[in-house]
Amino acid sequence: MTTLRRVAGKLGALLLTLFLASLLVFFSRFLVPGDPVSFLLRGRKPSPEAVAQVTAQYGLDLPPWQQYLNWLTGVLQGDFGRSLQYRQDVSQVIGDRLPVTLGLVIMAGTMIAVVGLTAGIVASLNRGKVLDRAVLIGLTVLGAIPSFVGSIVLIAIFAVQLGWFPSFGSGEGFFDTIYHLVLPSIALAIVFVVLVGKVTRSSMVEQLGREHVEVATSRGLKRGTVIRRHVFRNSIGPILTVSGVLVAGLLVASSIVEAAFGLAGIGSLLVASVDRLDFPVVQAIVLLIVTAFVVVNAIIDVLEPWIDPRAAAGAGAR
Amino acid sequence: MSPSPVMPARGTGRRVASLVAAGLGAALVLTGCSGAEPEKAQPAEWELTAQTDAPSGDLDSFTWANYAEPYSLDYAYAFDYADNMVLANVCESLMRLNPDWTLSPGLAESFAHPTPETWVYEIRSGVTFHDGTPLTAADVVASMSRHLDPAVGSSWYSNYQNVASIEQTGDMQVTVTMTGPDSQFNLGMGGSAGVIESAATLAEKGADYGNSTGGVNCTGPFSFGEWQSGESITLERYDGYWDPELTARSAEVKFIFMNDANARTNALKSGEVDGGWMIPADAVPQLLDSDQGDMLFGLNTAVNNLIISDLEGPLGDVRVRQALLMALDRQGIVDAAVKGYGNTTDVLTTESVWDGASDAAIASAFGDIEEYPYDLEAAKKLVEEAGVAGEELTYVTAPISSDFNVYAQATAAAAEAIGLKVNIETVTPNAYTALFSDPTAREGVDLFYTSWYLSSPDPLEMYSVLRTGEFSNYGEWSNPEFDAVVNEALTIEDPAARSEKTAEAQQIANEELPWLPMFEAPVTLFMGERITGVAPSIAFLYYPWAATIGAR
Repeated sequence: MTTLRRVAGKLGALLLTLFLASLLVFFSRFLVPGDPVSFLLRGRKPSPEAVAQVTAQYGLDLPPWQQYLNWLTGVLQGDFGRSLQYRQDVSQVIGDRLPVTLGLVIMAGTMIAVVGLTAGIVASLNRGKVLDRAVLIGLTVLGAIPSFVGSIVLIAIFAVQLGWFPSFGSGEGFFDTIYHLVLPSIALAIVFVVLVGKVTRSSMVEQLGREHVEVATSRGLKRGTVIRRHVFRNSIGPILTVSGVLVAGLLVASSIVEAAFGLAGIGSLLVASVDRLDFPVVQAIVLLIVTAFVVVNAIIDVLEPWIDPRAAAGAGAR
Repeated sequence: MSPSPVMPARGTGRRVASLVAAGLGAALVLTGCSGAEPEKAQPAEWELTAQTDAPSGDLDSFTWANYAEPYSLDYAYAFDYADNMVLANVCESLMRLNPDWTLSPGLAESFAHPTPETWVYEIRSGVTFHDGTPLTAADVVASMSRHLDPAVGSSWYSNYQNVASIEQTGDMQVTVTMTGPDSQFNLGMGGSAGVIESAATLAEKGADYGNSTGGVNCTGPFSFGEWQSGESITLERYDGYWDPELTARSAEVKFIFMNDANARTNALKSGEVDGGWMIPADAVPQLLDSDQGDMLFGLNTAVNNLIISDLEGPLGDVRVRQALLMALDRQGIVDAAVKGYGNTTDVLTTESVWDGASDAAIASAFGDIEEYPYDLEAAKKLVEEAGVAGEELTYVTAPISSDFNVYAQATAAAAEAIGLKVNIETVTPNAYTALFSDPTAREGVDLFYTSWYLSSPDPLEMYSVLRTGEFSNYGEWSNPEFDAVVNEALTIEDPAARSEKTAEAQQIANEELPWLPMFEAPVTLFMGERITGVAPSIAFLYYPWAATIGAR
């Protein structure tokens, strides 16, 4: 019962957040200088009737609140409007590019999880030793490399010099796509590995010093078992929380990597659309990122007590 | 600094939005891995190539680097390099604009001009669309009528602004009636304004016509294959193509969108991509040395100008405009912005667009004009006479490519050298584009840069936009004598007689400087070692250039 109520509460908060986000996302476009119609004209000489008709076609002649209602009604039905730039349904424009970004985020996410967790665990188990310091220094160095620098270096070495990987494009078919996404995923993962690695380390270190770990060890349980059952399981809360933040970070950071590798993902689409005043596309992508962020974090909130019973106890007591 | 137009000219230029200019200039962006470039001690030398060697055989496929993704393949919106360079190979127009910038019959086998107000087109028989259906007069009427439909909002509306009606007047005949004499209408039919699409396809695709899912169904040597949104467009050879001269030599051509100038240069140098138009200026010296293919230069119709967008400020005085032009080190700008591959000019058209002009017209348009050699002392004197010393100008630029910075800095330096202050305002590329369409965006702006190309073989295209009240007359320059000359020229059917009037207009613009002409540069092209057969020319916007490319 409490679980159900808690989930319902989360859901309500989630919907409210999304609603507020939709307001922000929609009305912020009126703060941006520039007229979408003048973008559509791109310097061409129009007939006055055409200007009026085109304005009406995109609903730009209506008062803002009316535009918002029309937009929201559409969005709730999965219709994000028409892209001014591509003269195509926004859902189509984004749908064409979403797989690339998702592939990139999934591959980078996997790398971050594997490398970050491994580095964090290894460091924590060797706390104070040379290996710990080496991992920490390594992570700090990686963390200082911005995605665009990483992209340039990776292209220069592995695409141009060695010719092992392609320098642009997202490939065709499953394996070719993965092959094309290797370098971009690495470029994207680099910065975030640090975050996961450091959080994992500190969380593990904290648990290793806990009384129950010492008790378990003194009871003669094997070190491996203690670490799996007591240390790692209890450390997972902060790691999950950080991972929730990562999702939005990855989606946003993908724009830089996509641009560098010539990938047609939603990140590079967002950048291009902002510059071209293609509001329907910008609004849809921002809403998508906000939604992904909010939903992932809600899921983590719900999952956390299930993984770590202490969190449930804490929540109940609150 | 006398005008030294590169080649025989004709044509007028169509306006260039900033993005277009980006294409041209996009060259420069920082080239990290550019290797050692010879310091330009000696002036750049180049030759225009009219036609490369004929192919030795056919190809399965070749790839082409585009600096940007087309907005649309709908001919009504195909207005920029990125759109037209693809579309030209898929869709055909009533007339054909050839690489030497002449017009010849296209989908219209012939045309007649029985009265000053009517154009009668005989439609070619035996032509089929890519879906196999035959071309009919009804398709022509449907295609052309779209430009008149306000709901379409065609980019080529200005070509049709004097059209009263478009009607089928025979089995294979279409008659266009104008509201008055208009010598320019037929000249525009070689460009995207004259493209013919299947009426059935237009009806069936509706709003999705020409976008990445809808595609197009035209009559060109290549058919629309696949459009991978954001990445590439693939065209396939159309086996039912009507013209044996232009049947595609390659079974497939793939256009890859590479916005990053550096990435494009790398791909061309490494042979990853077979070719590309509008090579980044920084890359030209590198590619000239490359053993991966040939760096080529072709006929252009563009002139790089400074648009004077406020005649109520200091630049309203013609002496100040003249002074600024004389203070600009235009050869220096050519060297810095396009690595020397260009020629300074004092007029707004290239000789290449003066097709059918009389010798007398060419002589007066390019010879009997005012020259504005670099002369700071004379320029300073003019500014003092005008009494505007110390006044401030606003120059708007955008980080579109590094040459934009060259134009901005050079203009500021020139103005300051003659006693004016300059405020350089940097805006986003989009806001920059708005300067060309939105009068409110030009408020308080004195100057901005453009590369303006013409889309028809008549220099009148350039001067008609500078008439009083015209959409692209950004500074609202008004000269009744000029208007009268241009308006009269527009009604003259005979190209030679018309060119003499146009030469008068060119002389007035040369004296009055509503825009400051800086230089003209050839079209650049890189062709990899696998391929040959292309004709380097700005006609790549409207002529099926990819069809002639085959195996080297």
